[in-house]
Amino acid sequence: MDITLLLTSTVTLASGIPLTLLLTFASLLAGFVLAVPLSFMRASSRKWLSLPVLAYTYVFRGTPLLVQLFIIYYGLGQVGAIRSSVLWVLLRDPFWCCLLAFSLNGAAYTTEIFRGGIQAVATGMIEAAQAVGMSPLQIKRRIIFPIAFRSVLPSYANEVISLVKATSLASTVTLLEITGLSRKLVSETFAPYEIFLAAGVLYLGLTFLLTGFFNALEARLNGAPRAKAHTRRVALQQVTHEL
Amino acid sequence: MDGFVVQFVNGLKTTVLLALVSGSLGMALGLLAAAGRLSRWRAVSAGIGFYTTIIRGVPELIIILLIYFGGTVAISAFFGRYVEVNAFLAGVVSLTVVFGAYTAEIFRGAVLSIPAGQIEAARSLGLHPWQTWLLVILPQMLRIALPALANQWISLVKETSLISIVGLTDIMRVAAIGAGSLRAPLTFYLAASALYLALTSLALVIFNLLERRFAVPGR
Amino acid sequence: MLREPAADHGIRAERIQKRLGGNDVLRGVDLTVRPGEILSILGSSGSGKSTLLQCLNLLTVPDRGDIWVHGEKLAIRAISQQGGQARILDHRQVRRVRASMGMVFQSFNLWPHKTALENVTEGPVLVKGIRRNAAADLGRHYLAKVGLSDKADAYPRHLSGGQQQRVAIARALAMEPRVLLFDEPTSALDPELVGEVLRVMAALAGEGRTMVIVTHEMAFAREVSTRAAFMHRGLIEEESPPQEFFSSPVSSRLRGFLASHR
Repeated sequence: MDITLLLTSTVTLASGIPLTLLLTFASLLAGFVLAVPLSFMRASSRKWLSLPVLAYTYVFRGTPLLVQLFIIYYGLGQVGAIRSSVLWVLLRDPFWCCLLAFSLNGAAYTTEIFRGGIQAVATGMIEAAQAVGMSPLQIKRRIIFPIAFRSVLPSYANEVISLVKATSLASTVTLLEITGLSRKLVSETFAPYEIFLAAGVLYLGLTFLLTGFFNALEARLNGAPRAKAHTRRVALQQVTHEL
Repeated sequence: MDGFVVQFVNGLKTTVLLALVSGSLGMALGLLAAAGRLSRWRAVSAGIGFYTTIIRGVPELIIILLIYFGGTVAISAFFGRYVEVNAFLAGVVSLTVVFGAYTAEIFRGAVLSIPAGQIEAARSLGLHPWQTWLLVILPQMLRIALPALANQWISLVKETSLISIVGLTDIMRVAAIGAGSLRAPLTFYLAASALYLALTSLALVIFNLLERRFAVPGR
Repeated sequence: MLREPAADHGIRAERIQKRLGGNDVLRGVDLTVRPGEILSILGSSGSGKSTLLQCLNLLTVPDRGDIWVHGEKLAIRAISQQGGQARILDHRQVRRVRASMGMVFQSFNLWPHKTALENVTEGPVLVKGIRRNAAADLGRHYLAKVGLSDKADAYPRHLSGGQQQRVAIARALAMEPRVLLFDEPTSALDPELVGEVLRVMAALAGEGRTMVIVTHEMAFAREVSTRAAFMHRGLIEEESPPQEFFSSPVSSRLRGFLASHR
């Protein structure tokens, strides 16, 4: 292991952080904007609203992101109508293809997460809002979604971390974010240990920062963190001790 | 496309085999790691905590690339000439390491959610600690862990597609070859998605059956 | 609170029917609430009293029957023979009517992500379009009225059940409604917290407000109401002024009910 190489490649790979972050946050934002209305449709008791959304989330969560990305990047060009449309300007660019793939994929997961939160909101909260005369939109915006979002924040945080990691697939369509840069560097130097470890360290840093951010957000939104299952642990450790 | 049917069948076999082998090894690793994480030896517990945290904080692709190219460098150095690591083997190792880290956390969470009273009850009955583990904790833990395990297995099936990046001829790679040679990427990648969707749906059905089979009434 | 007696005809519900989960919960109930009246609705659980209350502001849409609130007939489409659901026809009207009727729930139903003050001001701001700082003044006024001035910035999870229910009452009051509906407001409370809520309600009754109270608190109903009604199996079995209701009940069922709740 060459420590100097590890350090220099960390510095080199750090220049890929902006692109990784751009891909992450842009698809996070797009995914969120898509997921909010879709999750309400998905939570609806009306089948014609919920079933199409279920079909979307089922397919996007049931197939690899890599395939989705390749369908968008390589596959759409096969369709003449797309090649000749104005959209082709964006769709032949790997950056926009990644953004589209990551947003659609992330939105599918986020939709299901939000749906769970929406369906878990107690009916009493909604009745109280109806009783003061709020409109359905006001109730969704001011009561249901804020309560649902708070309750699913830990799952949503996991989804954001997954998204950071998912951006590494951008390297397969020639983008030079952290992973893309590291693959390029390895092919030039053939020192995979140092370089991929350096990339791993950078990703760890990013995921740690985001985890910290979400823990702080959760504490802020929900007050003091709930007490852990302490007694259980003690009982378990007693059993383990006797082993 | 006709000639590719056979290739897709072979790719499907490879994908399924890779998922099953690394999934089984990964679950075994996860069980061991969960036990170690809950153990009284602080060094072991901390070490395993380190392992699961690191693995879950780094993209799977980086781990795959590290193991594949790192393995190639190590083996080449050993033989004194360039030897490429078998992609399937690299896939099994990396997916096992990843799957183990995630399932370890699932198992740990499941064990911790078993009410303390049950363990105390087992102790008060005079059960031996290993009996407590085997008869009280393990069966309940597996039952509690099932839904999360189902998600993890589905993720695993999808993650196998990443091994195609280091050259494994799985579904994804067959699609890529077909896409290139017949200039019909949409057709081939859609076919690949259909196969993956069938596999993940199958996993979903199996786990639903398992959950129904082992459901606890009222829980 | 401004009241225009000429325009306020109180509430009138006629032949209200509701079927829920295979049971005829309401079987053609008639109910009148006159302005300034304090009506207590009593009855064992399952008699339909909470459902009836929920029908008055259409949180539950009756299958059949007509409802007038303040002289305005509510536009509802009755259940059809083909099994179509009964439904609200004029949502605007219903929102307007709901805003004029404050409701207090058994389980408080405070919004957990909002402070006590925000719980109180949310309705006035969103429904009446009152500006935030004016609403905050209004909110503080009503929190003071229920004795919780010092809890304005507390979140519901940091309040006792009695305090939460008093915030819920302030929330209903802040809409300056013409009628207050109480759905078993003390049933979810620990016994030692019931008193503080009943005291607030008694004070409101003393202001001459129109109130409909579904309750199990006999002594309170006897003392505060101007009229009491007894429900049994989806119908009003007996209704009379509290003196007669509690001292010389006519129906044997009401006599039995009162005897068992003494």
